[in-house]
Amino acid sequence: MKSKKNRYEWMIALRFLVKGKGQTLLIVLGIAVGVAVQFFLSSLIGGLQISLIDNTVGSAPHITILPADRAARAAAGAGSASDSGRALHEEWTEIHSWQPYVNDLKQDARVRRAAPVANGSGFIERGDSVVPVIVKGLTAPDGLDIYRIKEKTVAGIPELSSDSALLGRRLAERLTLAVGDKFFLRNDRGDQVFLRVGGIFDLGAAAGNELLVVAMDRVRSFFAMAGVSAIEVQVRDVFSAETIAREYGRQYRRVKLESWQEKNRELLTALSSQSSSSVTIQLFVIISISLGIASVLGIAAVQKQRQLGILKAIGTTNRSASRIFVIQGFLLGGVGSILGVAFGLLMAFGFVSGTNAAFGLKITAATLVTPVVLALLASIIASTIPARKAAKLSPIEVIRNG
Amino acid sequence: MADIVLRTRNLNKTYFGKVDTPVLFDVNIEIVRGAFTALIGPSGSGKSTLLNCLGLLDPQTSGEIDFDGRIIDAPDVNELAAFRNENIGFIFQFHYLLPEFSAYENVLLPFWIRQGRPAAEMEQEALRVMKRIGVAQFRDKAVSELSGGQQQRVAIARALVNRPKLIFADEPTGNLDRESGRSVLELMAELNRESNITLVMVTHDREVALQADHIYELVDGRICKYLDVAKTGKAEAARAIEDRSCTIKPPAGNGA
Repeated sequence: MKSKKNRYEWMIALRFLVKGKGQTLLIVLGIAVGVAVQFFLSSLIGGLQISLIDNTVGSAPHITILPADRAARAAAGAGSASDSGRALHEEWTEIHSWQPYVNDLKQDARVRRAAPVANGSGFIERGDSVVPVIVKGLTAPDGLDIYRIKEKTVAGIPELSSDSALLGRRLAERLTLAVGDKFFLRNDRGDQVFLRVGGIFDLGAAAGNELLVVAMDRVRSFFAMAGVSAIEVQVRDVFSAETIAREYGRQYRRVKLESWQEKNRELLTALSSQSSSSVTIQLFVIISISLGIASVLGIAAVQKQRQLGILKAIGTTNRSASRIFVIQGFLLGGVGSILGVAFGLLMAFGFVSGTNAAFGLKITAATLVTPVVLALLASIIASTIPARKAAKLSPIEVIRNG
Repeated sequence: MADIVLRTRNLNKTYFGKVDTPVLFDVNIEIVRGAFTALIGPSGSGKSTLLNCLGLLDPQTSGEIDFDGRIIDAPDVNELAAFRNENIGFIFQFHYLLPEFSAYENVLLPFWIRQGRPAAEMEQEALRVMKRIGVAQFRDKAVSELSGGQQQRVAIARALVNRPKLIFADEPTGNLDRESGRSVLELMAELNRESNITLVMVTHDREVALQADHIYELVDGRICKYLDVAKTGKAEAARAIEDRSCTIKPPAGNGA
């Protein structure tokens, strides 16, 4: 019954808005522009951040498990650092019991991939020059997948066999090596191994493109490693890496865990200040929308005083009179924000197709719904000012003053 | 004993401001059901203020209004609004229609306010009243497209549509030309006769007042004369109105 009774409030609110076309159109456009800017800005910044984070950690481990310092390892009784045959490699601190760690991590649902990695540095002789290279020993498929080597391979086949190697693009160019070419890799003890170029990849980042990727066991035997250099982990939610790292850090006493966040503090600071500047802009957009609505509806409340007086004389309650204005605020906010999202989507498509941006827009339910909800809330809150005025108006004032 | 639909007891009204302005003093009147009562008096005598108090638009400062058995002394504003919607129709000097709506929609307004969407029979009733009043052909016209007289007729239709117990009219022809003014008054008198509508009208036009069954004259916020036209006859009533002295006490003063 009550909701039925409210129907006339909607009718009157709607008619007031329709009859005040010019004013209504202006304020709807104002809200629409505000919402469009908000939507576009948040999608743009969201997209930019995703792309920055993706560039940073998309093809890199999120958590790196490194051996703890040697003293701790010695105390724990792991490994045998006294082997003179491997004296040269004592500098390489290693994780010897990597398999349990990997198995343990893989059982965690939050972990997408975990793979051991063996790093070494060697030389490639090519003609007259000797080029130092960083050798990364990876496992297939997890180790390769962490670096997305399969997707990023630009030539050859991204597979690791015992005599094949994958080269970063810059390295391949420097050495003028093509797929199928063979070369010698030498370590600092003078051992050498004959490898074939199986594929060339482009990781985008300069450092990544200097890598020489070889099967992990090959690297371990070539550099005479008893363990592995690290365990690399990719988690499903990149932002949870730090928490997960800290959690496992408490369990794994003999190794050191490092999340990508710890290594990229500056990037994170930049991202968060970008976010907060976007939030600030959005806040001011909301404030200006609210002020616009409050002023337009405030004027409307004065303009419609006569009508309100009549309505009250013939039975409209104060509450109904104020609801008529809140409904107007709601309608303005609703229509304005839907229009705004449409504008915003147009802007987004224009941006994506019109510019050659290296990143896309992040359009999610949240970026769509948040500005709409905020604009609606702002409209309703702003409309309470004229609504209060409407409630206070006494019909006799209107009738006495003609 | 006449059937009294509205009665006041020592009604006082003062406008408070920088200077307090007392407007009505101990007004005691009775409105007979089904009758046409005229409130007359010179400008500034408080006729319109009295009408607005009787119509429960303007709260009295003191005293009591007995509206068909319901005592109204310290009312709640929203309750009063609902009460007005169901019991009172207003016709003002300025037509006071909503320009955003058509003639028909304006007539339906009291129904909307009461219950949202009006029932089919209410819509029929609105059309019947509009037909009776001669504005049915303007049904879908915007009120701004109507002449003053037509607008006032629409306002009358709106006042009637709810079948209120009382209709209050404040100089309903004051803003109309002579011809349409006369026809609007005739219409109201006819409606009063044919449907037994209780009509209280403020007017400064003695001719109009003499159409009424009862006349109250206000002077300086006090009831100065009461005339029962049916009893005295029109000629005697006309003579009494001309007489400047306040001789006739209103019957309500007896507390009968």
